Amino acid sequence: MRVMVMIKMNKDREPGKLPPKEAFEEMGKFNEQIAKAGILLDMGGLKPTAQGARVKFLPGGKKTVIDGPFTETKELLVGYWVLQVKTMEEAIEWAKRAPLQHGPDDECEIEIRQFFEIEDLPETDRVVEAKNAGKKIGDVYKEMAKEAREGKN
Amino acid sequence: MMIVKSNQAQDKKTIADKMASEKLIGEMRKYNEELAKAGVLLDLSGLHGTAKGTRIKFSPGGKKRVVDGPFTESKELVAGFWIIDVKSREEAIEWAKRAPAPHGPDQESEIEVREFIELEDYLPAEAIEKYEEIARIRLEKLSQMKREARRSSQGKTEQAVSKTH
Repeated sequence: MRVMVMIKMNKDREPGKLPPKEAFEEMGKFNEQIAKAGILLDMGGLKPTAQGARVKFLPGGKKTVIDGPFTETKELLVGYWVLQVKTMEEAIEWAKRAPLQHGPDDECEIEIRQFFEIEDLPETDRVVEAKNAGKKIGDVYKEMAKEAREGKN
Repeated sequence: MMIVKSNQAQDKKTIADKMASEKLIGEMRKYNEELAKAGVLLDLSGLHGTAKGTRIKFSPGGKKRVVDGPFTESKELVAGFWIIDVKSREEAIEWAKRAPAPHGPDQESEIEVREFIELEDYLPAEAIEKYEEIARIRLEKLSQMKREARRSSQGKTEQAVSKTH
């Protein structure tokens, strides 16, 4: 199963500046471990919400844009790993080993969520065809996008 | 990253519930195609509800606590995301505004647009090298996994063929 391991922090620990050098190196080592274990599919870090925006969709079709920073929340996404694991327990074990606490008073949270896979979809003709071709959810669009980019170049 | 936020009602929905709204599915499909054909789409995914999720709380003093979902108290749930490659924040916001209202036209919903940290933005040269090395290891491992998967499926086909003869 694919899981998204999300790092959440409160506004005091929003990213935007580099962590202390040691913490940075620790994280590098951890990333290397999950890469060498062959379970790392993707990873990313996000800039502070000051550089972000929210688009609110209201009933009736109205949309409003709100610029960051979003200071009211304790659950800001700062980064994530996408891992290929056999069980949730395996994901939890890895997540517990992530060197996230930079000091004894540090507080943060990891949330692990499972991806929708093609096996979860109702078996329409389209889904069966994609499944037989060994495709994952979203592959059709990703291939289309790749073609578009190559066409442009 | 364009993050589709969830809420308590949406979080309880299964994929079958979500697929039930053919109109919304059709609109999403069209929107995904627009992103793809514009060449900006890099990745897209949906996540199962938090009932299948887990949180690990890192508390002061080094304590770690595992809490199983569903997370009913939370206002900041993620339902899915797109990753797009655009020139500016404004372009990203424009794309987000063009998305069909993620939970249907009569529901309030939200897409959060966040910028990725790129290596060049923050990191000293040595750190970039380190990350590139990790990327290399990751690619090697993945292609090794793919080769093995191919070999084992070829093995199965050969077995099947030899059985029929």
